[in-house]
Amino acid sequence: MRNLLIVIFLIPFSVYPQLSSFDFHSPENIKLFADHLFCEGDYLRAIEQYGLLKDHSVNDTTDFKMMLGYSKLGLYKESNKYFNGIDDKSNFYSDAYLLSLKNELLLEPKLIIASNVQSLDSIQLKSYRRITTISMLYEAELNIIREDFISPFDEDERNAVASFYDFKVDPNYKSPALAGTLSAIIPGSGKMYVGEWGDGVTALVVTSLFAFLAYDNFRTDHTTRAWIFSGLGAFFYTGNIYGSIASAQIFNAKIEFEFNDGLNLFLEQNNYFLPVYDFCK
Amino acid sequence: MQSNFRILIFFIFLTMPALGQLDDFKWQKADISYEKQIHYNKRNYSFESDNAGEFLSKSLANAYWFFISDVDGDNCPFRPTCSAFLIQSAKETNILQASLMFFDRFTRDMNIATRHDHYPRVSAGYLYDPPQNYTLNQGKIKYLPPEFIVEDE
Repeated sequence: MRNLLIVIFLIPFSVYPQLSSFDFHSPENIKLFADHLFCEGDYLRAIEQYGLLKDHSVNDTTDFKMMLGYSKLGLYKESNKYFNGIDDKSNFYSDAYLLSLKNELLLEPKLIIASNVQSLDSIQLKSYRRITTISMLYEAELNIIREDFISPFDEDERNAVASFYDFKVDPNYKSPALAGTLSAIIPGSGKMYVGEWGDGVTALVVTSLFAFLAYDNFRTDHTTRAWIFSGLGAFFYTGNIYGSIASAQIFNAKIEFEFNDGLNLFLEQNNYFLPVYDFCK
Repeated sequence: MQSNFRILIFFIFLTMPALGQLDDFKWQKADISYEKQIHYNKRNYSFESDNAGEFLSKSLANAYWFFISDVDGDNCPFRPTCSAFLIQSAKETNILQASLMFFDRFTRDMNIATRHDHYPRVSAGYLYDPPQNYTLNQGKIKYLPPEFIVEDE
């Protein structure tokens, strides 16, 4: 009897969800669900849900959130497409403009040319100045003095920014021609100049060894062996000159890589000087 | 009633281990090979080439493989190996430049002191040192830091 009562009691639970007239697909509920997905960091699905609102209750906030979502997903081109759709009278226009600058910098690192700054408030203007100033580092040459370059940045950012500026002005490259010349004078010294001490010492020892073997065999009239050692010694000697030039080029590529890596990391850590948008409070 | 229920449960559990053996796949020892894959068994010893320089470098590499590498074993710490480096260098540049690149690589190969911290590695653990970085064309250099792991060929 008791079991029968429990079964009768439970049956309405399975029936009730089917009877409700709750509309999961109303624009309000889609928006609530999209907001929830956005706050969970599920940007792709959030964008998909916001996309369903297009004909109903779309507003500048959802447009900006879609732009932000695409940017967070690394789809910068798609993100900037939404910027074109945001009206310049919208509350989010200035933020969207700054975000579009970040997207542009990530799509193609190059100098950002000034435009559309009238609508920016003081905080946004500061972000704008910092992002445009830092974009100068992507130019081949810097045409700005050090003080002017670091002035838009906060105190805690200035050391890092100054070091990027100093690298750009004097990048501490190694000269491939000098490396080759040094190795031509003393085998291996070009590699040592580039900082490849192990390779440099090895080249010096190997070339010297073959030179000695060639000399010794010529001295004792073993001409065939002497010529073989001479040939090998000559190849190691010229190979080392060639390798020193290549090492200097690789060294330059390495410091270029480290500069770009450091700059990207700095920009990432500072969110490209953009404000942090929190739609999930 | 209770004893019937227990018998029923017993039969349900009995079928579970039996079911695992019923399929085509029987539990048995696996034939796993722990032999290390050696790439030089797949070497192409042919003399096929597009030009005289490539033919010469291929001949040198074949001789190097036959008389040195195959006897010595898979001991080159680099990828591509020194002989493969010569062939690829000849394809990238010309036979003279490839020879200089090869002798420079050979010198670097002899440096056992500092090379381990200098190059990125392929996933099998070898040092990754492609010829494209040594053609003296700055645009072709693809610098990778030593911490980087490159997918094996």
